[in-house]
Amino acid sequence: MELLMEISENLQRGKSKIVKELVQKAIDENIPADKILEDGLLSGMAVIGEKFKNNEVYVPEVLVAARAMNMGAELLKPLLADANVKSKGRACIGTVQGDLHDIGKNLVKMMLEGKGFEVIDLGTDVPAQKFIDTAIEQNCNIICLSALLTTTMSVMEDVVKAAEKAGIRDKVKIMVGGAPVTDKFCKEIGADYYTADAASAADAAAEIC
Amino acid sequence: MKDFIEITLDGISKKVKPNTLISDILPKDTDHFFCGGKGICKKCVVFAKGELSPLTKAEEDAFDKSDLEMGKRLSCLTRILGFAEIKTQKQGSDKICSQTIFPKYQKENQFQNYGVAIDIGTTTLAMQIYGRDELLCELTAKNPQARFGADVMTRIHAAISGKAEEITLSIREGLSDLISEGAKKANIPLDLIDKISIAGNTAMLYFLTGQNVECLSRAPFIADRLFGETVSFEKLSLPTKNAEVYLSPCISSFVGGDITMAILSSDIKEEIALLSDIGTNGEIVLKKGDILTCCSTAAGPAFEGAGLSMGMNGKEGAIDHVFIKDGKISCHVIGDTEPIGICGSGVIDAIACLLEKELLDETGYLEDDEVILSGNVYLNGSDIRMIQLAKGAVRAGMETLMEVSNLSSSQIERLYIAGGFGSYINEENAKKIGLIIPCENISFLGNAALCGAAMILLSKDGRKKAEEIAKKAKTIELSDNPIFSEKYMEAMIF
Repeated sequence: MELLMEISENLQRGKSKIVKELVQKAIDENIPADKILEDGLLSGMAVIGEKFKNNEVYVPEVLVAARAMNMGAELLKPLLADANVKSKGRACIGTVQGDLHDIGKNLVKMMLEGKGFEVIDLGTDVPAQKFIDTAIEQNCNIICLSALLTTTMSVMEDVVKAAEKAGIRDKVKIMVGGAPVTDKFCKEIGADYYTADAASAADAAAEIC
Repeated sequence: MKDFIEITLDGISKKVKPNTLISDILPKDTDHFFCGGKGICKKCVVFAKGELSPLTKAEEDAFDKSDLEMGKRLSCLTRILGFAEIKTQKQGSDKICSQTIFPKYQKENQFQNYGVAIDIGTTTLAMQIYGRDELLCELTAKNPQARFGADVMTRIHAAISGKAEEITLSIREGLSDLISEGAKKANIPLDLIDKISIAGNTAMLYFLTGQNVECLSRAPFIADRLFGETVSFEKLSLPTKNAEVYLSPCISSFVGGDITMAILSSDIKEEIALLSDIGTNGEIVLKKGDILTCCSTAAGPAFEGAGLSMGMNGKEGAIDHVFIKDGKISCHVIGDTEPIGICGSGVIDAIACLLEKELLDETGYLEDDEVILSGNVYLNGSDIRMIQLAKGAVRAGMETLMEVSNLSSSQIERLYIAGGFGSYINEENAKKIGLIIPCENISFLGNAALCGAAMILLSKDGRKKAEEIAKKAKTIELSDNPIFSEKYMEAMIF
């Protein structure tokens, strides 16, 4: 549909104001909310995610696109709730204790939302237990851990252990990422997935759920 | 099993214990271990043939068939099992980074016979020996801690993972060797050196004194020792039996004594000015009247050549300048040889040229997969992204300090650039790619930290002034600062 295509294109260019107007127009034209979300907003974010993986766009473009998506999604939220549209899954995300960096974590969050996930953002400097408590209380399928410092990435292992201790290890998948993190490290600490960039993280999450 | 096996390293025979890692037998001043021996950075390549441990997955990924046939191995992952021939890749010598530019000051020696000024840089050690009336000699050497990781954080991690003593020992040995060599060169007895003044960032001084670095390893990053104190040579195991050692006062955990010393020696006269040391960690200081505000940005090692596919230090074979000649991209190579890589100053020029030739757009999108600069040396899409992160961090640090002080870049009267790397960059290109603010007056300070350390030896009130600076300066934490995040996004654009 042309209108939804227009939403997707404007989202890719980060035109949040126009995206908001077009989403409202689509609602007024009685296009179902889940269709606006899927074929307008999420399809636009999917294009951005793919381009990000291929180095065609970078962090700033992803950020403005995500901002545009959120503006549109705000309008859809009440309608989606009414229509009982289910999210793809639920994830909690945070930067581990001792680390204050949040740009990478925010990127993953945006990409996950772009795939239709509900994401609970725990912020930075998050204690291991907080991830576990949130995952239990909010019924999360995925825990996403970020660390930018060589010195703090070891905290990720604490989260894996805490999940085991709490007896939820088989119920959640644990994803790890951040500049010093590698696939080898992910395996060593017993986490489930490592991806090198935010878009691939969202792809991996989509495969899990 | 034999106790020792004979091998050859660059043609010289050597005895090593079986199962020794190749990286452990390379010269200690080697700067090959950017990742601290994790097999990630792929900078410790050697050519090795003989009885060696099997290829690891990391090596299979790192090398193509012809590399493997040539015997390329990652020295940090390869163990020597029997006779082997090992060749290191040829390295040129480093450009000297001991250039000091003194402000006007009242000279009054703080030593009796000889004084030594030292800057412990994360990558390079620089030293000057002063007699009563003159500079007797200057020397530089690699920081031997490089084998524990190229950046401060990797070394801190190594220290808290059980290598603290080794790291402390290595820097003490490095300094001892440097001082001994300098004394020999200056033809003076070590025992007549009675004062040593050492500048260094907070972590470097922690390592030197053997202080536990735990507090520097994680948030809230509050240093439990900021130095600005005198210690005896014995405590640091230095060979100068009559020397009192002064350790420069640090401002905070990531704005160290090297910056205090840089502020001291820059002697900023302007009312409003910025001072920046551009390196792996870009420290920035904003002076507004009597107020000093600082921050430290993690620019990453892109400007030191690490992390880029063809990156290298500024030594022979490195492209250090790129320019457009007759409409074509041209390069200058250090030593006028065939280019084998590109160093920081070359990277800045190259980006500026690519932007001008419209091969790169302002978002950092590269038309082609890679652009050949000269010979086999190229930049590719992910290199560009890495440079965007690095230059964005430095610029955003500057912008954040200005914003919190309610200043715009037009109000900055002068920008001071400290550090070895800073002195080699092309000012116009650094502005063009957005690494630095568009300030008309720019001064390059050379090794301002070493200069400050020397001023402690040579001036009456140097020490007092340095301690006042360190006490007065305030640090802003950037990693969780929303202003910084926003500026960072803006500053990534070219």
